[in-house]
Amino acid sequence: MRAAEKRVSTAGQAATLAVGRQRARRPTAGMFFLLPAVVWILLFTIFPLIYALYTSLHAYRFGRISGFVGIQNFQRLFQDSNLHSTLIVTLQFVVASVTIEMVLGFALALLVHREFRLRGLVRTAMILPLFATPVAIGYLAITIFYERNGPINMLLYSLFRLDIPWLSHPTWALVSIILVDIWQWTPFVFLISLAALQTLPDELYEAAQIDGAGTFGLFRYITLPLMAPTLWLILLLRLVEAFKVFDIPVSLTLGGPGRATEVFSLFTYRTAMRFFDFGYAAAQGFLLLVIVMTLVTLLFRRIQHLYQEEARW
Amino acid sequence: MVALTRTLKQAIFYLILLLVLLVTLFPFYWAFVNSIKRPEDTFQPTWIPFLQFTPTLEHWESELAIRETRRSLINSLVIATGAATLALLVGTPAAYGLARFRFRRPNNGFFITWFISQRVIPPVVVAIPFFLIFRTFGMLDQLLSLVLLNATFTLPLVVVIMTQMFHEVPTELEEAAFVDGAGRLQALVRIALPLAAPGLVATWLLCFAFSWNEFLMGLTLATKNAIPMPVYIAGAEHTRGVQFWFVGVRVLITILPPAILAVLAQRYIVRGLTFGAIKG
Repeated sequence: MRAAEKRVSTAGQAATLAVGRQRARRPTAGMFFLLPAVVWILLFTIFPLIYALYTSLHAYRFGRISGFVGIQNFQRLFQDSNLHSTLIVTLQFVVASVTIEMVLGFALALLVHREFRLRGLVRTAMILPLFATPVAIGYLAITIFYERNGPINMLLYSLFRLDIPWLSHPTWALVSIILVDIWQWTPFVFLISLAALQTLPDELYEAAQIDGAGTFGLFRYITLPLMAPTLWLILLLRLVEAFKVFDIPVSLTLGGPGRATEVFSLFTYRTAMRFFDFGYAAAQGFLLLVIVMTLVTLLFRRIQHLYQEEARW
Repeated sequence: MVALTRTLKQAIFYLILLLVLLVTLFPFYWAFVNSIKRPEDTFQPTWIPFLQFTPTLEHWESELAIRETRRSLINSLVIATGAATLALLVGTPAAYGLARFRFRRPNNGFFITWFISQRVIPPVVVAIPFFLIFRTFGMLDQLLSLVLLNATFTLPLVVVIMTQMFHEVPTELEEAAFVDGAGRLQALVRIALPLAAPGLVATWLLCFAFSWNEFLMGLTLATKNAIPMPVYIAGAEHTRGVQFWFVGVRVLITILPPAILAVLAQRYIVRGLTFGAIKG
């Protein structure tokens, strides 16, 4: 009996060793597993990006290449006043929505981070907006922001005698889009913050409490520093997504009134699909890519170690 | 006195919670209540069916009777199912490779970062070349194109999440299988996959939800036959005007599948959203 067990365990050890050796010696076998995905990305992401670069160096007429223009499409980026106003709209949207989502979502996570009966329900409820089809939400929001007898204006009117031109006034239209975005994405900040809060070690809090730290002290000197990497990560993910925003403006305001809510992606989409100016649209796309990449490079160092576990090999 | 402030604090806590839940869930209820109201009841501030107004299913029936609606629903189902399955088929082996083998130059960390970084690219940047490429191949307005693209967009998620899953399952059983002469592929299919099954299912659900919700590529590539639900819905307002009751029906049939699937995959959502950085 003993001998049998021993044999099994030595066999196990031998196997571990063999596997270990295999790991070290034959990464080519691993390549066999990895290759399809790598080729897939090269084919469906890297190749299109290169094709987009090629496109951006050409002029298009009626949707067909009409000639090589070098960097002219990129030069146009600097002179196009429509593009500049689009950039400003996008920036306003990004700054307002991401700031409010971060503050609101984190505050809510701090509030909910305790034992109480409805916590599971709150968590589940917060998942619903996050995965609700953005286009459908924008479409639904048309009826919610409806100016005559829509639910929001009805409420505001009965409370404060307010009548807000949500979708017909340029500023309010942008506010509407920001509000919908906040509704949809605050849960994102909330869920991730809450998950991270739950991993913080209790001992630190107990020790600090023994040392006489107050609620604010605990927050300022323990919670905030420990949560900083997570918050940077959330900020980065939110910023990247916010700069790409497309669905909600399209379905809620179609970029209007006028061009008040024409965000970057929508502007580029129209350059390509309405005016068939593919070359210039591709150049615009690269500008957006550069903006997003810059953000990522600036912020990635702060969160890199969160991915260290996967990179441990 | 102390007890009083505590009760007060409790009360404020639950009040805030109630407000948050109200704001979060209101749009869903609003869509629902409109979908069962008669047109003449639409602008009445009534909220409780049967008590305040007589509900009706006629809008659900007439909306689902429309051929285009049914076609878009089926399209979305095909695209999301196909894309999620394809992404798993391609991504899971890669994840297994990254979890069980050590690569050098480039190393495993590089591959992981490279996969994640694909998600940084704004869709509108690749939408243009995809349109031109698919036009060249005569693949505009085809479900296959949208399956391929959505699989591409969800592939990085699969690779990253599944790599973690494989890291988390014990390797002893696989090692025992090698002793018995099993190959790597057999070890993956027979042992590692069943062990990682919960993560696999959750990843599939998340990929389904993301693909179902995708809009920009659908809008760019689909013109008629391949139109998925989000694109269908975005065009509806301008052809039929804003009829609250139809908005309610359409929004609910679009929103519910991904939202319900995401709730089913709850345990893995935080991972999915942060590409594995936070486990949750």
